[in-house]
Amino acid sequence: MKKIDSAFAVLKKQRRLLAVSGAAIVAAGFGTTTVQAHGFIGDRFFPPTIATDDPFATDELLLPSVSYLKSDGVATTDFGFEFDKEIFPKFAVGVSGDYLYQKPDGQSSVSGWDDFSLSAKYQLWENVPHEAIFSVGAEWDIGGSGSTEVGADSANVFTPTIYFGKGFGDLPDTLKYARPFALTGTLGEELPTSYADPNSLDWGIALEYSLPYLQSEVKNIGLPAPFKHMIPLVEFAMTTPENRGGGPTTGTINPGILYENNYFQIGAEAIIPVNSATGSQVGAIVQVQIYIDDLLPKLFGHPIFGK
Amino acid sequence: MKTIVNIMKIIPFQRCGLMVALFLAVQSPAWAHAFLDHAQPQVGSTVTNSPTEVKIWFTQELEPAFSSIEVKNAQGKEVDKKDVHVDAKDKSLLIVSLPPLPAGKFTVAWHVVSVDTHRTQGHFEFTIK
Repeated sequence: MKKIDSAFAVLKKQRRLLAVSGAAIVAAGFGTTTVQAHGFIGDRFFPPTIATDDPFATDELLLPSVSYLKSDGVATTDFGFEFDKEIFPKFAVGVSGDYLYQKPDGQSSVSGWDDFSLSAKYQLWENVPHEAIFSVGAEWDIGGSGSTEVGADSANVFTPTIYFGKGFGDLPDTLKYARPFALTGTLGEELPTSYADPNSLDWGIALEYSLPYLQSEVKNIGLPAPFKHMIPLVEFAMTTPENRGGGPTTGTINPGILYENNYFQIGAEAIIPVNSATGSQVGAIVQVQIYIDDLLPKLFGHPIFGK
Repeated sequence: MKTIVNIMKIIPFQRCGLMVALFLAVQSPAWAHAFLDHAQPQVGSTVTNSPTEVKIWFTQELEPAFSSIEVKNAQGKEVDKKDVHVDAKDKSLLIVSLPPLPAGKFTVAWHVVSVDTHRTQGHFEFTIK
């Protein structure tokens, strides 16, 4: 069961980190104030990635996220959601949850809610010419808020995290076809309140190549739709236990693709366990990100306090 | 491969499709931010004659008062006629006129605001041979 727990812990972590992004920073109402759209630093649009969180503190809605992973004869399907709201400029809080359906081979299934999570994030620094951003945040997994039938933890877990993003649009002309590359990442320290659980380092990286950026900033190579709206990427989502016999590093490598349009993003990735401690079979995740600032611009896309 | 096939059966893509369909059904086409769709001269292209205009088509209609194009030469000097305007018939088309230009590399920088107030920006190059 430990293997299954490890695999599922990674999956759960990925779901929690599913950064959603709906949203942007529209100033209240439709006056003459103009606003930056969500996920932009200068010319660069950073799409909400699937397995690792993005560095933006904005209004976001992830609904639905569906992931699947099978390990040692137990298939786990996760139906997740996340909602984040910008409270002050560049400071957002969020809530997320996962409904789990677990089906061991030859046995009856169990289902229920995993522990709910609360999070906060602040965009600390941005550099427009270099397409760079740095943010800090924390997450609280609320122990005991989920169902023990699906393995929800009874202990609280706090995870302070740093986030970064870097686009490569500042590369010289000789490397211009590498300009569509961008990198985002997270580094968090998982601190459980129970001494039965180990402290762990959560780390993740997403490397993406934006075909829209290639077409609009570097060279129009004549890509037709839908390809010109796609962003291929690969993500690495890892957890390294640090003490209390936490075992080896677990994690997954997720190659996939995102499809962007003005109203939503659809993403799909394979979930490849990095070792047998994580899982033994390839899984998958599909996610829809709704740009709620575009859907309800008077309600979303701007902070509650301040501009 | 078997696992992948099983996954494809299990993940309810139909639900995702339904969500998207519902979303689009209530979505006004005027909302959302403006991205560059295509341009003339094309992004990153080399042309043999000096173009008379730079035209950029966006994915959304634009607010003329907050939308601009600047064309600069390799020395960073603005060379366009500073008459940027949104096309009268196509509100998603932004145009600026050019004088006859010598051979060289030129940078087009654009800043636009879509009709829902979202601001976006970008730049690209073209070369006159």
